[in-house]
Amino acid sequence: MTTEQTPAIEVRHLTVSYGERPALLDVSVTIEPDQLVGVIGPNGSGKSTLIKAILGFVRPDVGEVLIAGQNVDRAKGLVAYVPQRGAVDWDFPITVREVALMGRYQQVPWYRSLRKIDREAALEALDMVRMSDFADRQIGQLSGGQQQRVFLARALAQGADILLLDEPFAGVDAATERAILEVLERAKSAGKTLVVVHHDLTTAAEYFDKLILLKQRLYAYGPPRAVLQEELLSQVYEGRLRVFADLATGKGA
Amino acid sequence: MDFLQQIFWAPLTETYFQKALIGGCIVAVVAAVVGCLVVLRRMAFLGDALSHAMIAGVAGGYLVMKLLFGLEAHAPGMLLGSLLAAVLTVALIGFVSRISRVKEDTAIGIMYTGIFALGVVVVSVFRHFIHIDLMHFIMGDILGVADSDLWVSAFVAPLVLSLLILFYRHFQLSTFDPVMAASIGLPVLLIDYLLTTCVSLVVVSAVSMVGVILVVGLLITPAATAYLLCDRLDRMMLLAALFGVTSVVGGLYLCVWLDSAGGGAIMLFCTLQFLVVLTVAPRYGLLARWLRLRRLVPQQVVEDVLTTILRHGNGAPLTVLRQHVPQVASLPRALRQMTQDGLVQAAEDGYRLTEIGQREAAKVLRAHRLWETYLESIGTPQEDLHATAHQLEHLRAGGTVDYLDEKLGQPRLDPHGKKIPPRTKNGNDQG
Repeated sequence: MTTEQTPAIEVRHLTVSYGERPALLDVSVTIEPDQLVGVIGPNGSGKSTLIKAILGFVRPDVGEVLIAGQNVDRAKGLVAYVPQRGAVDWDFPITVREVALMGRYQQVPWYRSLRKIDREAALEALDMVRMSDFADRQIGQLSGGQQQRVFLARALAQGADILLLDEPFAGVDAATERAILEVLERAKSAGKTLVVVHHDLTTAAEYFDKLILLKQRLYAYGPPRAVLQEELLSQVYEGRLRVFADLATGKGA
Repeated sequence: MDFLQQIFWAPLTETYFQKALIGGCIVAVVAAVVGCLVVLRRMAFLGDALSHAMIAGVAGGYLVMKLLFGLEAHAPGMLLGSLLAAVLTVALIGFVSRISRVKEDTAIGIMYTGIFALGVVVVSVFRHFIHIDLMHFIMGDILGVADSDLWVSAFVAPLVLSLLILFYRHFQLSTFDPVMAASIGLPVLLIDYLLTTCVSLVVVSAVSMVGVILVVGLLITPAATAYLLCDRLDRMMLLAALFGVTSVVGGLYLCVWLDSAGGGAIMLFCTLQFLVVLTVAPRYGLLARWLRLRRLVPQQVVEDVLTTILRHGNGAPLTVLRQHVPQVASLPRALRQMTQDGLVQAAEDGYRLTEIGQREAAKVLRAHRLWETYLESIGTPQEDLHATAHQLEHLRAGGTVDYLDEKLGQPRLDPHGKKIPPRTKNGNDQG
């Protein structure tokens, strides 16, 4: 590697398995800082395993994950995770403000209570996603896009430079998708590296700086134009994607 | 006055009642607070399991202390035994559900009945050594609460409460979002075990009062009651503690007045309290839900009003609307709502459509006439066209109307020779 700066995330020859079947096989990806990177691939292609590996939750069979040059096990807290909307209990008795405050928990040792500076940081993060007006709402009373933004605020309040987002655009309408994307862009220009699991190939080219095309193996990694090639896509999606033929050739990127 | 004094004050002067009140309140408060986490983590069944598993631990602790040290009914020994049994049960449950295809709820069911059975067998086999009244164990006896039980709860309650307060953030985060908790380096597994230990401690100290069967109610019912009223965990815990106390106080009076079993009266009161809150809770209660539904104006009525005015021409009086809108009952409410939303305006000669209302009405009318055309094309009898289309015109989401339009070859007139309003783009411009 002869890059001038330390990569934000470096995945080296990563193989992870559940039983006999490898979920990821020899995946190597180097993600530079200040990038908006999309992870695409069919269901069960190992997207969430890759996310888990970057969070340090899975024990790789071979290979390693480096976060800002350090082994992932020693890099707890450098990566902030934004869960999928379906994974959250929206009936939980918690307000928007409290969710954002959770972002500060890692800075506060267990014997100390939260201080004014923490509350301000949380509110600032909510401001950034334009949700401070909703600070005292219970999270279940928000619309889908607002819910997504609250969790983004929490990730921002964590102060981590790397944000992992699991399908943030799932189940929201087009206008909301725009609003979320705008927040992502702003986070990027504030110096964050964002890795986003994404399922909609039609918007992938437009949204991301780089794409990771995954199906157990790494099929392609690079700018959308290079990744959204018809033969690559048909290989990965096994011909289920007639629709995307024009996407690769025509208006892609 | 005398009567009131008789029923409220007289019991308070009795020692057994005072003890029951103090012990019950201590246990209820801590059970309710821990119970909040149990409810939110959906572990209610586990609480049940822990209380049942206890009997094996109590018997084991009794037996060991008696045989090794010759101590009769040694409270700390039995407490330790119960905790060991609880931890063992949890470990076994985790083990079975991890290594086999048996799911967790089944594993809980198997393990706790198994360990409960073991306890029952041990107690009856060693009945000459162990003097444990099984019935007492199962039903509890809050009115005859022993001093040793009071001491146990006086020790357990502050311990558990301070753990919960000290590690409040840890418990909150690992309950709400375990993935994030792990990602910032919290020891999630350790926190889970700590919580399980807390639940076991509470259960152990509560069983002597309300018994094995009812203890889970004391754990979850006040918490669930508070859950219906609160949108913040700290407040939920406070309120749950309060409900725990009222359950014990109310239940004990109930038990004295009715001369009933203590544990039963407490849980009955607790459950009634839950039902009352379930009914009247301002946001999540049944009454509130019912009122919300009632206030909701059906979209169908709104659309019927729109098309009626459009067909009649602006200035439709109420009498005309009454004739054409089937649900007359919700008409006034609908009109009020629609005026508020800027769809219609009340004028001297009746109701008029605003610009937005006009646009909306055209959309419904377009749907209606396209459905009519479609129905005719699939051979629906002429006389049914209007009525059926009137039902179907409300079915418009997901590009339904455009599909019909395309399929029918973008007709300009409907079967009655009336013009079909053209398609509007994004609802902005009326083409």
